[in-house]
Amino acid sequence: MNDSTVSGDSSSGNQVAPPKPAAKKKRNLPGMPDPDAEVIALSPKALLATNRFVCEICNKGFQRDQNLQLHRRGHNLPWKLRQRSSKDVKKRVYVCPEPSCVHHDPSRALGDLTGIKKHFCRKHGEKKWKCDKCSKKYAVQSDWKAHSKICGTREYKCDCGTLFSRRDSFITHRAFCDALAEESAKTQTLVAPTSPDEDKNVEAAASPPQSPPPQVSPAPPAPPSRASPAPPPPRASPALPPPAPPSQAPHPQFLLQLLCCPLFCLFRAQPSGNLYELLESTSPNPTTTQIPEETPSITNLTASCGGSSSSSSSNGSSSSNVFASLFASSTSSGSLHSQTTGFTDLFGAIARPTCTPDVPPSSSTEPVSLCLAMSQGSSIFGTAGQERRQYAPAPQPAMSATALLQKAAQMGAAASNGSLLRGLGIVSSSSSSTGPQEWSQQRLEPDGLSLAAGLGLGLACDGGSGLKELMLGTPSVFGPKHPTLDLLGLGMAASSGSTDGLSALMTSINGGLDVSAAPPPFGGGEEFGSKDIRRSL
Amino acid sequence: MFQEDGSSSVTSSPLQMFPMMSLSPGTMSPYPWLKELKPEERGLYLIHLLVNCANHVASGSLENANIALDQISHLASPQGDTMQRIASYFSEALADRVLRAWPGVYKAFHSTRIPVVAEEILVKKMFFEFLPFMKVAFVISNQAIVESMEGEKMVHVIDLNATEPAQWCALIRDLSARPEGPPHLRITGVHQRKEVLEQMAHILTEEAENLDLPFQFNPVVSKLENLDIEKLRVKTGEALAISSIMQLHTLLGSENDQRKKSPSTPMSNGIGVHLQRVAHMNQSTLRELLEKDTVNGYSPSTDSASSSPLSSIHSPNIDSFLNALWGLSPKVMVVTEQDSDHNAKNLMERLSESLYFYAALFDCLESALPRASLERLKMEKMILGDEIKNIIACEGAERRERHEKLERWSQRLELAGFANVPLSYYAMLQAKRLLQSYNSDGYRIKEENGCVVICWQDRPLYAVSAWRFRR
Repeated sequence: MNDSTVSGDSSSGNQVAPPKPAAKKKRNLPGMPDPDAEVIALSPKALLATNRFVCEICNKGFQRDQNLQLHRRGHNLPWKLRQRSSKDVKKRVYVCPEPSCVHHDPSRALGDLTGIKKHFCRKHGEKKWKCDKCSKKYAVQSDWKAHSKICGTREYKCDCGTLFSRRDSFITHRAFCDALAEESAKTQTLVAPTSPDEDKNVEAAASPPQSPPPQVSPAPPAPPSRASPAPPPPRASPALPPPAPPSQAPHPQFLLQLLCCPLFCLFRAQPSGNLYELLESTSPNPTTTQIPEETPSITNLTASCGGSSSSSSSNGSSSSNVFASLFASSTSSGSLHSQTTGFTDLFGAIARPTCTPDVPPSSSTEPVSLCLAMSQGSSIFGTAGQERRQYAPAPQPAMSATALLQKAAQMGAAASNGSLLRGLGIVSSSSSSTGPQEWSQQRLEPDGLSLAAGLGLGLACDGGSGLKELMLGTPSVFGPKHPTLDLLGLGMAASSGSTDGLSALMTSINGGLDVSAAPPPFGGGEEFGSKDIRRSL
Repeated sequence: MFQEDGSSSVTSSPLQMFPMMSLSPGTMSPYPWLKELKPEERGLYLIHLLVNCANHVASGSLENANIALDQISHLASPQGDTMQRIASYFSEALADRVLRAWPGVYKAFHSTRIPVVAEEILVKKMFFEFLPFMKVAFVISNQAIVESMEGEKMVHVIDLNATEPAQWCALIRDLSARPEGPPHLRITGVHQRKEVLEQMAHILTEEAENLDLPFQFNPVVSKLENLDIEKLRVKTGEALAISSIMQLHTLLGSENDQRKKSPSTPMSNGIGVHLQRVAHMNQSTLRELLEKDTVNGYSPSTDSASSSPLSSIHSPNIDSFLNALWGLSPKVMVVTEQDSDHNAKNLMERLSESLYFYAALFDCLESALPRASLERLKMEKMILGDEIKNIIACEGAERRERHEKLERWSQRLELAGFANVPLSYYAMLQAKRLLQSYNSDGYRIKEENGCVVICWQDRPLYAVSAWRFRR
């Protein structure tokens, strides 16, 4: 045990008289010790030592001083040595051995040895004790014990059946739960209404509703967000299929998941201001039709519990009925709300202008709430969207660069026949969604010449395609090491998006290119062109 | 000339003159007939010229490249239509590449350049605002993080490029709204600039305070390749999430360099690391890897020692980095990367792939903003143009934009000891909604092996995937 004493002469301004043994012990403010106290700095090892009291005779360690005294009696000490030192026990304060700690400074020493031990463990120690109910970890055993006693015992329960361990989340929920209940009183309800509460959290989080929700009675901005829907993906792990169309019963697996999930009632929980707006502006729409279409395309994805429910509501009051919506499948949107708090902002007000009118049609494809989210959302992406709205696309169908590249590739391909064309069969058959119609018509034309000529590239040679021809013709040192990035190559990349075909083509083109001789003038390009093409086959 | 109904007619269009022009450079300076070109024809010709020029550059015939660049300059313009813009940036990149053949001239030319930091930051904001890609990445990343952190009380998120606070504001909102109550959230942001991190810290702490979420922001000022994992201060007992948006590809550098310079010391580092990883892979994965890995980027000149297909994946920087991340046992790591192969050794292949990729991005910008828009111009120049320049003109360690296909990234991450976490249906749904809000039908989103790919028309652009630590 390393004991070193430093007389602390701190100017803490706390002028407390040194406690007399008989007087009641005065407690100094934590971290502001008695200036006359003796400051003791123990090493970490000493601090954590369990047997601090050591018998000087046999060096046996004891946890408590009383035990040590009892033990010393057994040594039959002469009377003098038996007594403890008579001087008053000087008040001792302890500093934390960790240099970066605030309490390392003597002026901030702690007065209680047990206190400093606990502090050291808590702040600078490893958390070895873990609560088995929740995942909280503790470095001090007593903290851990104290926590385990109350863990899970103090729970707030909302009338709707949701459990909370935290008071603030409980209050938040309860506020919205009431609003939810009120709304559902208008239609079918599953929850008894409770009195609304104010919730500061929600207010903070809520973004002011941008437009009065069409079908919900005007409610105070903050509290109303009752979001029916679900908490975020906490339940995402159980894979849920996408929401069932309203007309059918909800997907059995979905229901099962719900029932199994003990927190399924949480669908009603955790509203947020944004959610409210989302819900509010929901317009009724059947969401059914498109959803089944989506499902097949997304086979690997696990469905998120919250996110998947969607249905249209005839009254736009999403809230109430997550249950209603899930089970009766007649109400609106979804349980996406939980997520939407953050996401609404992400979606932002940009969508606002389009969304409002578009809500009906768009919600027909997906859970409505997200669309709504966009209709109300705050800020982050606000202005840009406005700009986008105002921008009118260019008047004539200017050809997009992607289409041009594909066209260029196809021109190269179409001109040649045989293996190259076959190899590029993929290219010809793929349709460019942006290209104007005339291109695709031309693409299908067997006659490469007319193709090229039609483009005005003016190669009056049979089978000569403008660009490829030009490339072959220009004086370039096409060695085998440098495969010409032919339009054929371009074409392959365009259509299939992979380079496998590209490399194959490159090798075939290489062979062709090696053969190409110095370019003759193009005036007499006909024969050259055809010959070249054939050779490159 | 070009007929609408598809019928052909052979006329002596000015374009017939092109080949002759290209052969005789000194004939005329301004080509008057160029004005008569229709946009499509001009576009096609530009493509031809670009490919031509690249061929010359690749083969080293700089004189011809010069001629080609001159021809391009008459047609290309950064304020023109999409193809003209693309051509102007690609030709600039090719010119940059040519100029590097004279290092003295190159250095002198670039020595007085002053980077305007504020502009760079601003243009990234514009990219975030006007195009949906970042937002979709954020939405999906956040969703994956929230899902994996269900039930966790201590959450630590590491952002490998902390520029945009919106992502984490959204995460803070989501986490504070979850029913079991908010966790204690710690976000560590890595960035080269201190000011950016400070700004982000300010915004995020304010957001967290408003929502009463216990929050802490730890800035780490560092370049990604020099990142010291210790600085991230990952503690035991906290659940770790890592978010990497278009960062990992910058670490693929020096791969080609090594192979070029010393093929006889093949990826000894890489293979060593790989062998460690093999222990983690089951046999089937390894076999698949060996079968799947294709020619991509593999030059025939390297010797047999490095001819194992696995070596083409390896690069010391990325391997050690992924290894270090793996060592942190993250609960989830969400990776967003460009989904296109711009890392071929061969210039022409890179040109080809990047032409398609950036054509799609330029088209996307064309549909998003008017031609006169200054923001669009800045984005095209400072983001897309710089990327193009890096891909085409730089080699070795300087080339940081080494995009690769999603498949390769998946292989690489699996080799590094990560297992794929399929993205949830809900995440996809939200992404779809987001894209729909952009009022442009060009955006597509699809799912591929549990990962989400954002496309423009049919061209995949960005892929988002989630991974977890696997023993």
